[in-house]
Amino acid sequence: MEAQGSGCGTMGPRGRETWAQRLGAFRASPSAFMAGPEGEDLGCDLLSELRSEKLSEQTKVSLLALSLEYPAQLWPDTAAAEAAATSLLDTLVLLPPRPSALRRPLLLAATTALAAGDALGPTSAASLRLLPLLLGLASGSDLGRGFGPASEQRSLQATACECLRELESCKPGLLGGRLGLLRGLLGQEGPVQPLSLLLALALRNALVIQARARAGLQGLLMAGDAPTVGIPWNWALAEEGAAHLQPQAPGWPATEVQECGLAVLEPSPEEARELRAAVAQLLDTSYLLTPVAQAQLLWLLGWALRGLRGQPPVLFKPQLVRLLGTAQLTLLHAILALKAAFGEALFTAQDEALLLRRLTLAAQHPALPLSAHLFYLHCLLSFPENWPLGPTGEEAAPLLLGPRLCRGLLPSLLHNPMALLARLHLLCLLCADDEEKEEKAQDWSPQHYLEELLAGLRQRAALDGGPRALATLCFQASYLVVRCLAMQPAVLTPLTRGLAQLYQSRPALAPHFVDLLDRVGPELGEPLRVVLRQEVVARPGKDEALCWHLQILAKVADGNAQSATLGFLRAAAARCTDWDLQQALLQVCRALLRAGVGKGLADLLQALARQLEDPDGRDRARLYYILLAHLAGPKLGVALGPSLAAPAASSLVAENQGFAAALMVQEAPAPIRLSVGPRRAEGPVPVLQLQVEVLEPVYSLELRFRVEGQLYAPLEAVHVPCLYPGRPCRPLLLPLQPRRPAPTHLDVRALYTTPSGLTRHAHLPPLLVTFADLFLPFPQSPEGDKQGFFEELWDSCLPKGAESSLWCPLGPRGLEALVSHHLEPFVVVAQPPTSYHVAIHLPPNSRLLLRLEAAQVDGVPVALRTDDWAVLPLAGDYLRGLSAAV
Amino acid sequence: MAQRAVWLISHEPGAPLGGTVRFSRRYPTVEKRAKVFNGASYVPIPEDGPFMKALLFELRLLDDDKDFIESRDSCSHINKTSVYGLLIGGGELWPVVAFLKNTMIYACVPLVEQTLSPHPPLISISGISQGFELLFGIQDFLYLGQKNDTEINTKLNQLPDLLLQACPFGTLLDANLQNSLDSINFASVTHPQKQPAWKVGTYKGKPQVSISITEKVKSMQYDKQDIADTWQVVGAVTCKCDLEGIMPNVTISLSLPTNGSPLQDILVHPCVTSLDSAILTSSSIDAMDDSAFSGPYKFPFTPPLESFNLCYYTSQVPVPPILGFYQMKEEEIKVKITVNLKLHESVKNNFEFCEAHIPFYNRGPITHVESKVSFGQLEVFREKSLLIWIIGQKFPKSMEISLSGTVTFGAKSHEKQPFDEICIGGTAYLKLHFKILDYTLTGCYADQHSVQVFASGKPKISTYRKLISSDYYIWNSKAPAPVVTYGSLLLVRCHN
Repeated sequence: MEAQGSGCGTMGPRGRETWAQRLGAFRASPSAFMAGPEGEDLGCDLLSELRSEKLSEQTKVSLLALSLEYPAQLWPDTAAAEAAATSLLDTLVLLPPRPSALRRPLLLAATTALAAGDALGPTSAASLRLLPLLLGLASGSDLGRGFGPASEQRSLQATACECLRELESCKPGLLGGRLGLLRGLLGQEGPVQPLSLLLALALRNALVIQARARAGLQGLLMAGDAPTVGIPWNWALAEEGAAHLQPQAPGWPATEVQECGLAVLEPSPEEARELRAAVAQLLDTSYLLTPVAQAQLLWLLGWALRGLRGQPPVLFKPQLVRLLGTAQLTLLHAILALKAAFGEALFTAQDEALLLRRLTLAAQHPALPLSAHLFYLHCLLSFPENWPLGPTGEEAAPLLLGPRLCRGLLPSLLHNPMALLARLHLLCLLCADDEEKEEKAQDWSPQHYLEELLAGLRQRAALDGGPRALATLCFQASYLVVRCLAMQPAVLTPLTRGLAQLYQSRPALAPHFVDLLDRVGPELGEPLRVVLRQEVVARPGKDEALCWHLQILAKVADGNAQSATLGFLRAAAARCTDWDLQQALLQVCRALLRAGVGKGLADLLQALARQLEDPDGRDRARLYYILLAHLAGPKLGVALGPSLAAPAASSLVAENQGFAAALMVQEAPAPIRLSVGPRRAEGPVPVLQLQVEVLEPVYSLELRFRVEGQLYAPLEAVHVPCLYPGRPCRPLLLPLQPRRPAPTHLDVRALYTTPSGLTRHAHLPPLLVTFADLFLPFPQSPEGDKQGFFEELWDSCLPKGAESSLWCPLGPRGLEALVSHHLEPFVVVAQPPTSYHVAIHLPPNSRLLLRLEAAQVDGVPVALRTDDWAVLPLAGDYLRGLSAAV
Repeated sequence: MAQRAVWLISHEPGAPLGGTVRFSRRYPTVEKRAKVFNGASYVPIPEDGPFMKALLFELRLLDDDKDFIESRDSCSHINKTSVYGLLIGGGELWPVVAFLKNTMIYACVPLVEQTLSPHPPLISISGISQGFELLFGIQDFLYLGQKNDTEINTKLNQLPDLLLQACPFGTLLDANLQNSLDSINFASVTHPQKQPAWKVGTYKGKPQVSISITEKVKSMQYDKQDIADTWQVVGAVTCKCDLEGIMPNVTISLSLPTNGSPLQDILVHPCVTSLDSAILTSSSIDAMDDSAFSGPYKFPFTPPLESFNLCYYTSQVPVPPILGFYQMKEEEIKVKITVNLKLHESVKNNFEFCEAHIPFYNRGPITHVESKVSFGQLEVFREKSLLIWIIGQKFPKSMEISLSGTVTFGAKSHEKQPFDEICIGGTAYLKLHFKILDYTLTGCYADQHSVQVFASGKPKISTYRKLISSDYYIWNSKAPAPVVTYGSLLLVRCHN
């Protein structure tokens, strides 16, 4: 292996300062740096500088730290990653035996380079060096003085375990063959945490892979302490695992056991005993792990044992009580994972109730930070119940979480917005429950509480000059309530009224109202439209609010209360003095146009086209007037259909986006498939039979054809009134008028109307007209001498024409089959099965004559004549193609 | 359970970019897995600049909330946790765990070992809680103990080395970064077997155990007939155990006097080895009655080297330590105020300090104050529109003090005067700040004699107690006030 490419090592050593600058520049923007002049050499320089004696250890550590973060930039391909790992390992070996801060980061860097660079594998020399080295270090074997003083061994042992764990994560099954060894180490005096986590991960992966392969544990756990050096590394399980890296079992009930590929594994009694012992060993010493590591261990073991028959999860029980009392996010989360994995097998109904209480408590405990509260609230609403009632995957209040338990979790105005929304969601769920209950609690009504809260939110949102976040929060809360309680008029009626009042006191919130209307269903949307329209039309208020009113009207104006709306607009027109306002006004007109409002609107538009100050506004008003006068209702609706993006510099430009789509013929991907059907070979001219299929209904279809050059006379377009998917359509006939008997491509365009009334055109794939498509039979004399007729034709070809003969190979079915398949309509004289005389008329006025005589088993000699020498090569190709086809 | 990347971003309002990336760390091996697991829904980790921009926008920390922006302000864009999706380069980077604390934004992106569309529930992603724990760990490391910028910069510079120790490959090994710092220094110590991972060395020296109980009391008082006042005590027990041996065992018992208030909602440190079920189930959710468990509360544990919070609790004491009322009436540009405070007789009348802060929001600066206090002294902060009544170390014999006066305000100028979204119109409060040493409101104490230590040598045991106020509000009873009902707050109309 070339440790470093030829470009490496040529740069002179750099000082600490230069490196600091270089690293700083790199970190500021890795992509910009790598694109720059220094980028290319960075990876090589870094590796060579690690051996420089001029750089301090601290600088070298910072170089290694960079390589831990950006290996893909430094060594972009597998070969470079492999070379880098080799170089890093060389550097490690060459370190003098005194204590050094570099050993640990070098191990991490080599591991990262291999794993991130996709180089890890049985063919990688660096992998085959690194793995035994790591395993040796992890086992605490004496690797000689080269690996530093004894004082460093403990830390290197832990590091080696971490490296192995990372490699196992990236290549599941890598350590499958070393489970016994790892167990043995854990029982001895190895560092507990790194070994526990490594063993747990390797165990989980091995179980998952074996379960998928429907294989047993095959004594993996009982391998004992095999010697670590000297045996070739066993990649079998890792190869198996790599195929299954995706998707990993999420360990959550929403994904079914089978679905995530964790087929149920049934270990033999002996294997089961060993497995239990290993898990118990891990759990018993788990209190020695840091809380985050304990949580990882529980997730891994939960995953590992989930698919296993005959592995009672009671092993976890002794840990649970201890962990339930803690305030640690990771530990409670891990318990929830176990709950999801094992359900009733591990948690009785009482346990479930206790867990819920602890979770409720943690979701509001004053000693915990807000982020933790919010996460616990999420956990409550996604709580893995033993017997869930609702559909999975939806947030819901667990059955055991009654109103009493929730009272500390009610939302208040003083809460942070996220806490308020999370708690509000819970409150909404309670309200929904409360509605279903027959007897309601006398002392306290969640609906009343909800109403008060929403009123408070609106009051704050109405604050003039208040931050937008307050308004946003109010609308988010309203949206959440509508989503959860859409079926409860008792909630929606005061909400609608309250929102109308909010608009009245702060019209500047119009964009929020428009957004809300866009997103809620008709339960709130319909009544809210009505009250907002009334609000605007009845109480126009001050001039400042006009632009907001117009924005709202553009959203809510429809066919109802036309005269009031038009009256408002007429009055507003006088006040619309600047471009923005005029555009907003016209936007409302546009909404009315779409809604099919007619007469009064025409008058208004005419008036606007005259009186608006801005020419742009006048033009637009005139355009609308013309549209209103000339387009039928549905077409108008479609023309104005797609709502406008933000107004561009000119309203007509902006409008264009809509019209361009609606009124102009737009190119579209064709929903039409066209193919050539069987040949007809009759009549005076060749006719193509076209077969049409459509993917969606198509109306007024016109197909236009064009031939390259002057080969054929121009083709007539073909019209079809309508086509529906799945409904057969009779073939379309396309008569061809060749000027010369030659094959060609037809360029095809389709023009059609969509079900929504838009006209579209599409370019279809070209159609091929083959030589054979042009064949027509000769009209025969009534009772005539067929042989004589043929001979006459045959003789007439020369001397003007051309003559040829060729060997046409035959398939197993012989000459008869070939003729009946391809030449039947053109046969003049037949003596089956050995001799046929064929005369083909090629429009406009050429002939092709074939004598197929004295057929043998494998072929037939063909003599051919034509009066048009240009046909000869085409005929030859055709005949050779025939033999290939049969 | 791994993290793909971690960031610390200082939030700098008004700066051109709105912030600076102070630290970032990527984990390429985890990224490799993310690519495989997430499949088509994979979005790569962006560079620091674009990430910061997108995060500040999502957290509403850019100063541009003038206009409605749909991707941020839409009513359906609802965030109920500190986990966000950031729109970057046409894709959505999710889940981004992030929160702002002390002007620093802490953020990380946990690995999700499955496809991201649709988003799996957060509860099913092990990396979420691990991510939070990592960020909390960094936060504790940066801010526990010290506050000044130089010290924080020093600590920020230590972070790369510490994470190399505590989170070398993106999988967190220890959220206690101080431990990692110590383990770098302790590297030469040879460890005997069964050394806990959360204890990097052993203590050598005189054995001693220190236990300190800090109670914070919060309250909402209204002086209204139809609204009940509320108050709550939150306690924290902090220990530092300097004991020899690898795994010394200690048991601390917290006791209550006969009339003490039971401890509830107890959360313990993970080093506690077992818990009585009465401790586990004692909760403020349940109605109080005589059968409530009133201790002693025993906590057996194996202490870590550093100082740690053994447990937290809450309690519902029968009366608030200081009961009062606040009446404020607006008269054009003036307000008339009357305040009355009464210390409960059972409370130790010996404060380290006691002050009442009376802020006036959404008004102009104070131009004139006429006042009369029966005790202590009144300080006026005109520009801040704030009065501070310094009560001092002791209430007078009567235990009751009062203040009355008139405050006049100048014209409102938006930039300077404090804005508040709650204190609109007559809605106003005063806030009490006080501290009493060697005292707890619940009566809770750790008896020196009940502390059991199973280690060589007899340790010196010292105990400390203190009560401090936190969120202690007395609301104007002449106007609507945000009201606590069942532990939460709402604005209710005033019926007086």
